Amino acid sequence: MKILYIDTTTSYLYIGLVIERKLLAEIKENLGTNLSSFALTKIDQLLKNNHLEPQDIDKIIVVNGPGSFTGIRVGVTIAKIYAYTGNKKITTITSLEAMAISSKRDTHFKIPMIDARRGYIYGAIYDKEMVPILKPQYITLESLKIASDHLIDSFNYISNQDFSGLDIEEYNPDIEKIVNTFENKEDINPHAVNPIYLKQTEAEEKQNLELI
Amino acid sequence: MKNIYILGIETSCDETSASIVKNGCEEISTVVLSQIDIHKDFGGVVPEIASRHHVKNISMVIEECFQKANLQIKDIDGIAVTYGPGLVGSLLIGVEAAKTLAYINKIPLIPINHMSGHIYANELVKPLKFPLIALVISGGHTELIYMKEHYQFQKIGGTLDDAIGECYDKVARVIGVPYPGGPTIDKWAHEGNDSYQLPLPLNDDSYNFSFSGLKSAIINLAHNEMQRGNDIRKKDLATSFQNTVVEIITKKTMKALKDYQVSNLIVAGGVAANKGIRERLIELCEKENIDYSFPDIQYCTDNAAMIAASGYHAYLLGYRASLDLNPKSNLELSNVK
Repeated sequence: MKILYIDTTTSYLYIGLVIERKLLAEIKENLGTNLSSFALTKIDQLLKNNHLEPQDIDKIIVVNGPGSFTGIRVGVTIAKIYAYTGNKKITTITSLEAMAISSKRDTHFKIPMIDARRGYIYGAIYDKEMVPILKPQYITLESLKIASDHLIDSFNYISNQDFSGLDIEEYNPDIEKIVNTFENKEDINPHAVNPIYLKQTEAEEKQNLELI
Repeated sequence: MKNIYILGIETSCDETSASIVKNGCEEISTVVLSQIDIHKDFGGVVPEIASRHHVKNISMVIEECFQKANLQIKDIDGIAVTYGPGLVGSLLIGVEAAKTLAYINKIPLIPINHMSGHIYANELVKPLKFPLIALVISGGHTELIYMKEHYQFQKIGGTLDDAIGECYDKVARVIGVPYPGGPTIDKWAHEGNDSYQLPLPLNDDSYNFSFSGLKSAIINLAHNEMQRGNDIRKKDLATSFQNTVVEIITKKTMKALKDYQVSNLIVAGGVAANKGIRERLIELCEKENIDYSFPDIQYCTDNAAMIAASGYHAYLLGYRASLDLNPKSNLELSNVK
């Protein structure tokens, strides 16, 4: 099976080709605010460099959040339209799962984190079998630290961002491992592929406060 | 000659829309998914909420458009997408979707300015005749454009502050009409008496407009009446407001037609649906022997049929975008050239 992996949930573009469970090629680049402009160009480059046509892909695995709202939408839009128009299989995974799976440190618990600003993060805690001990959520960094202090075994934080005072394993996606873990995850109708934000918009939060 | 089918995609604000238009003038199918009921609760469009709905619905809207047309993507000659002006997060969804469709199916990608779409909505009614003056009036724009031929846009005037539609919405809020208030004001204007004195804004020799002074005058008027304990005669105020707007809009439009010696007028944009403006402009055009065109009501608000119509002419002229096309929230019309 030929699988295209797409993750644009942070300022980094992570894309890869996994053919018959082996990583053929990947692009990992911090595109910053140019991500929306170049995501598709980079996918084209990845396929061309490996002499593949868009139609040669069998399945797309897209990371659908949490992370940068705009970034998530870039990847999800490309992936769902690709799958819809190209008649491809598609499934989604979360950015936090991808991070936890990619961890190289020998610890029992994995704590992936993405900065959500104003003291908040998107985070989760997974055990060695990838069972969520703390499911993915929008939470203060302080609360996550308190939760991690209660863990009964070794743990480590993973992120592609810096959090001062914390020992962070720098996130470098192991695309082969991620794809192979989720290769057989149930396919989704492309129309039903949607972002996971884990956070309401400010307008909705304000409206909810007014309703209380 | 071979028929040309253009797929249009439009997501610049709070409508997710796809449309297939044949030869730039024959609408085959259009799907418009409006979010108006969602944003009504917030008193206006919330950009992040709009973007979330676009990404959720975009592929379904495109599929439904093809089903209605009984066509397939392989029948499409070009994909025209709005890349500005508009809300950047909303535009992004249409742009990414169009780029991906174009890429996977190896179809030319055509970058479209939303305002040119409003202008070309008139092609769905009858062919544009040149030279012409286009009056573009909407929630975000109030512009007079001179066109010598297809895709030659020369802006000769525009608003210096608020757009006309914006002014309608704000006045509606002041007199307590729910968002979007424009259509209600238009209706009331036909029922009230013009009994409030309002200033005629930017009544000069330019082709420019200014509506913030008029807006402030109405806010002050409402405020003063309230302080005196008087009720505002809402329908009368709607009438006085609309008459003022109609007078200045028609005055400058007719002046532009005369100065540029042009005998074709097209009106475009969401506010082109306004009855007061339509009636007065038609009356003046008939008197002055000006050929005029208004889009059908369903093409006045944002839709992808007009983007496909504009895309057809851009396609013939060879305008193409590459895969790194990015939305531009403040895209100027003249940049399309």
